[in-house]
Amino acid sequence: MFDNIISGFSSILAIGPILGIIAGVIIGIIFGAIPGISAIMAIAIILPMTFYVDPIIGITMLLAVYKAGIYGGSISAILINTPGAAASFLTAQDGHALTKAGKAGKALDMSLFASVTGEMLATLVLILVAAPISLISLQAGPIEKVFLLLFAFTVIGSMAGESLPRGLLSCCLGMLFAMVGMSTITGAARFTFGYTELMGGFTFTPMLIGILVMPEVFNVIKRRLVPHHEMTITHSPNPADNRISFKEFRSVFSTILKSSGIGTFVGALPGLGSSTAAFIAYGEAKRTAKKPEEYGKGSVEGIAAAESANNAVCGSSMIPMLTLSIPGDDVAALLMGAFLIHGLTPGPMIFFEHTETIYAIFAGFLITDLFLLVIARSGFKFFVKMASLRRYYIFPCVTVFAFTGAFTAGQNMDDILVLIAFTVMGYGMRLVGLNPAVFIIGFILTPFLEQNLDQAMSIVGTDYYLFFASPFSWVFIALSVFFVFSSMRVRRKTSNTSAQVEDKTA
Amino acid sequence: MDRRKIDVVLSTFLIIVSLIILTNDNLVEGGAESDLGSMFLPRVVAGLIILFSATIAIQSLLKLSKGTKIEGLELISTDGFSGILIYIGIFIVYWLAVPYVGFLVATPFIMIAVAILLGGRNWVPIIAMSVITPVLIDYGSKEFLRVYLPTWAF
Repeated sequence: MFDNIISGFSSILAIGPILGIIAGVIIGIIFGAIPGISAIMAIAIILPMTFYVDPIIGITMLLAVYKAGIYGGSISAILINTPGAAASFLTAQDGHALTKAGKAGKALDMSLFASVTGEMLATLVLILVAAPISLISLQAGPIEKVFLLLFAFTVIGSMAGESLPRGLLSCCLGMLFAMVGMSTITGAARFTFGYTELMGGFTFTPMLIGILVMPEVFNVIKRRLVPHHEMTITHSPNPADNRISFKEFRSVFSTILKSSGIGTFVGALPGLGSSTAAFIAYGEAKRTAKKPEEYGKGSVEGIAAAESANNAVCGSSMIPMLTLSIPGDDVAALLMGAFLIHGLTPGPMIFFEHTETIYAIFAGFLITDLFLLVIARSGFKFFVKMASLRRYYIFPCVTVFAFTGAFTAGQNMDDILVLIAFTVMGYGMRLVGLNPAVFIIGFILTPFLEQNLDQAMSIVGTDYYLFFASPFSWVFIALSVFFVFSSMRVRRKTSNTSAQVEDKTA
Repeated sequence: MDRRKIDVVLSTFLIIVSLIILTNDNLVEGGAESDLGSMFLPRVVAGLIILFSATIAIQSLLKLSKGTKIEGLELISTDGFSGILIYIGIFIVYWLAVPYVGFLVATPFIMIAVAILLGGRNWVPIIAMSVITPVLIDYGSKEFLRVYLPTWAF
């Protein structure tokens, strides 16, 4: 493994990948910092531009956008109390309180250092853990993979949706849309209604941009009458308030380590994502803090906990994707699509079929952290200025990039129609509480499920009991049932708590 | 807008579509024989869609019949929807116009339209941005991506 890592570094330390990382970090921070634009939107828009470059450059650039985008969300959270990303909600509470006290520099510094530390630790875990897990998952045959995929659908659908039936329905709709076009198993045309344009199925990129990106533009247009907030970095006359000293960083380092651990663990579980990680880590840090009353009122430790946890998810969310072919959240689903477009099938075999590429991507992941640290630290003012651009400058550009991105994928105007249709559908899904990210995960994983199910059927023939002969099958069935019930319990508990709070306030 | 009513309509629609998938054999054409069959998985998924849609519809119907107060997420705010409809209209015009007038001609007008929709009135920077951005995108696509965006067709 050590040789592979060295070889990965030698591949990534070239002009192309480095320029890709720098561009990715800059784009990610800007997009992440703009309220209303998230990292996922940035990745989806940049994705078509990476089709025509080497996978090492393209994928590392997308990963740089992802990491920097998650961090960028904390800038608007701290300066104007508007999280650029949902995961920065808690950072907004403490960070904005510090901004109001004239200590914006301190909050921004803490957020950056905690983000980079969290990301780096999670990336190291990813590098050390992914290959050994892939060795275990290689033992799985088609039958085990079928149960693994069913487990993934169940967990993601039940954990990520607004409610259990809505989450699972989102997943089923994604599965249904994935089956439009020519079946990869039988070659039959399904749900094409005589339109040859549908034989290839729905083009992934326009659908992705439509489902995940454009509804955000709709949201901005819907709220277009809300006044624009200008971002400014407040300065204190006391220089110590404008930065984080080594002593302060050392005092919160144990919190960062613990929160990074929580973020890494949560990120490795499918369906939970960075917001959950931030909330758990923040709660745990507050529980064990010496001054818990400061949390939410300008606690540097609170920022460290939330930011290190939500950024740690970036690295660890790749673990299920690279070892089991299961994207843990919406960004991982998008990245999985990017891997597939670049001819790399995420899964255990990637470590054997594309060893050099995957370790180069890992090395790029680590190097991105260094670039993020340097670029963000030296360009705070620039990023704040860019993120303060009025929405009538930003969203016309987003519209054109979405159009171009959708067209670039297949160089076909029909793809623009796909983009428009899925944009409306994606927005409609949000309105009725269906989860677009779960829809995308269902869409991506269905071909794998069908392929493995077909192979499994060939193996078992008419002896259907063989489906349940492997202990793996039972483990995944048990895990699926456990996740569904625990999700139901958590939801019931949450609704009871909120009902009690409402009763008390009434 | 009461989301529960939309839930009932949407669930009914999905149930009807799923029933068609379950019963209609003409939704698949051709294909080789396989152990699984081309419609096995679509029909399993259709069955699950009926199950989950019915659950959502029943929950919403029960709340509607009991006259339960609308909770946070069940209330869909329609403020600003007109802007969304205008934006969709602009995008459809863009889609229809580009094959005829080309990317470089259509894009500035679309960008200006979106900027105006979002309240932009600083004409000089908006027009400059609307002209420069498509030129840069067109050049970048052609030179770096080897993608040729549609041009003037007349």
